[in-house]
Amino acid sequence: MTHAGSARVSLDPQFAPSFPQAALIMLRNPQLRKNVAHAIDVIQAKRGKLVVEKTDWQELRSAASAIRFHVLDNLGAYLEQFESRCIAAGGHVHWASDAAQARQIILDLLRQANASEVIKIKTMTSAEIQLNPFLQAAGVSVYETDLAEIILQLGDEDPSHIVVPALHINRSQVREIFARTMGLKNLSDDPKELTNAARTYLRQKFLTVPTAISGANFLIAETGTVAVVESEGNGRMCLTLPRTLISLVGIEKVLPRFQDLEVMLQLLARSAVGERMNPYTSLWSGVTPGDGPQNFHVVLLDNGRSSILAKTKERQTLKCIRCAACMNTCPVYRQTGGHAYGSVYPGPIGAILTPQLMQLKHAQTLPYASSLCGACYEVCPVKINIPEVLLELRAQVVNQERRQAGRFFDLMYLGLRVANLIFATAWGFHAAQRMGRIGSRFFTRKDGWIHSLPSIGAKWTQTRDLRGLPKQTFHQWWAERVKGEK
Amino acid sequence: MKQPVQSRQRILDRIRAATPTAAKDASQLADSYAALPRAYIRRGSLSAQARVELMIQRLREYDAEVVECTSAELADAITTQLAASGRHLFVAPSGTPNEWLVTSAWKITGLEWTIDHGLPIDEHEIEKAEGVVTAATCGIADSGTIVLHHSATEGRRVLTLLPDYYLCILRSSQIVETLPEYFSRCQQPPALHPSDKDLSLGTPSLATYISGPSATADIEMTRIKGVHGPRILVVIVVRDN
Repeated sequence: MTHAGSARVSLDPQFAPSFPQAALIMLRNPQLRKNVAHAIDVIQAKRGKLVVEKTDWQELRSAASAIRFHVLDNLGAYLEQFESRCIAAGGHVHWASDAAQARQIILDLLRQANASEVIKIKTMTSAEIQLNPFLQAAGVSVYETDLAEIILQLGDEDPSHIVVPALHINRSQVREIFARTMGLKNLSDDPKELTNAARTYLRQKFLTVPTAISGANFLIAETGTVAVVESEGNGRMCLTLPRTLISLVGIEKVLPRFQDLEVMLQLLARSAVGERMNPYTSLWSGVTPGDGPQNFHVVLLDNGRSSILAKTKERQTLKCIRCAACMNTCPVYRQTGGHAYGSVYPGPIGAILTPQLMQLKHAQTLPYASSLCGACYEVCPVKINIPEVLLELRAQVVNQERRQAGRFFDLMYLGLRVANLIFATAWGFHAAQRMGRIGSRFFTRKDGWIHSLPSIGAKWTQTRDLRGLPKQTFHQWWAERVKGEK
Repeated sequence: MKQPVQSRQRILDRIRAATPTAAKDASQLADSYAALPRAYIRRGSLSAQARVELMIQRLREYDAEVVECTSAELADAITTQLAASGRHLFVAPSGTPNEWLVTSAWKITGLEWTIDHGLPIDEHEIEKAEGVVTAATCGIADSGTIVLHHSATEGRRVLTLLPDYYLCILRSSQIVETLPEYFSRCQQPPALHPSDKDLSLGTPSLATYISGPSATADIEMTRIKGVHGPRILVVIVVRDN
């Protein structure tokens, strides 16, 4: 097997190890880190050039943010509008409260269509509900058609990025997977030849499998339109050749009007892949006689989204248009890659989305998988303040933890309660400063840094140094300065 | 499985409970929508000439081949391109003007056309074609995008997807500078269905935006032209304004 990670980490947050544990496994894999860093450098360089060229970038971001907030504020009305327009145009709309219900609805639709095989366009939502293993267990053969998804499916690998899910796998690893699974012994590792192998492998599937599953980038309430943004043309194949099409879409993906695409499409391709526009964007509403699938279903998925909607600070998480700019810019993601996040949604957006979608207890460490540097907020095309949400989630983790039995006398919480008392008064604060300066003398080395602390302090110093306290506080220095002036 | 109708109601109830500040009625919703900030650039500033040149430049950056001609030269230009393509089996949508359908009498021999009038021509027949020729609805210069609304001159969606070679005829009067200019030209969006009573008839229900040939960068971010869609995109820009 060619697992790019030498050890595998589950992407189901219920079973995944904590972020620090998983990150350690990834950090020990130099090949994976090299592959991730290379891919990210290429995307970042392309994105940078195209964002500078767009002189109204900040205005587009503001408009996109406002549109997405407006949708979330009025989500019920817009979803009902989408539903009625989609049905009027000949489509069917289904509502799924959770992952299990969505999987069952899709399986029932496949059974009605007598489908034993299904072709798929890359959709993170289907990965979220773990659709493929469920369908396969039910006897349906699932064929991914996006090049990266084929690499993952044939190589039995997991996605590590939401836009380029196989970025952790390099060309020689792809060659090995294709040669082994497609029986092509003489395949070279030239990306062009590898791409051609995938084209040939899939052509017959496109022409013969009569059922397809897709996600969607946007739903348009005004017109009942579904939008899919892609590069390869596998999406267009899946959207036009089969007789039955099922689109699984998160309830937050709706936009009010057709015209709103003028904002989103300008931001999405530039943010996601550093292109002015992705090669193919497909828009359709319901069914069109003589063109494409005549049996069309939209499955609207809640799966925790409505509870995110109810929370003031966290609601902005749902503005996300899944461009992955946040993970491409994140210094943490760059080092660990996506698998360390133990979820199909990695990177900064994953660090806030996963704990909320999958319940906080399954993702205790993800809100801490960030240095809070703010780069993700700066690049986000819909202005999600990810650091703000991370802090809010950290507060929730701590609140949950300190209420646990036996935590009352936990050294950390005891310390924090004492600190709370001391810092509440000025004299207490000053006394603590004096004590601290005396105490820290024992640990401060000649270079002015504290390299190791005992007991609970070691938790800090085992990974970083601490600057020793200065001889004077600012207050003392200021008082002396004022005295000197007189 | 719980009844789907019940989960619809449950999800909507949860959403309503989560959004106490939602608009009370349609007019309040429309007002709130109208108040959204839109300070981005909507109208371009280039001259007609510069706009066409930008479109051509962007198309070439996507590795599309571009040639220019006048309306009078179009039939000749199509002939030249098809002859240069080295292909013989072509498809065209049902609304294709007769003068575009270059025949063997025109310098090239062995050219065969299939005109797509829908069924009984199926996907396998289209798959056999080596190339396709269609018109377009609009060109967006800023991103080098070709817009198809799949009218009778643009064909159903598979037509411009399965053949390996795509020759697209774009008139210069169809080219706008910015994406918002295209959307404002779409007075009636390409999404309305004839069966929808309160919406106008005749508007297309499908659209495809094409920016360069099919491509992928999934292997080490190396851009490869032509995965599943046409590998070769040729655009004839017809100067008509």
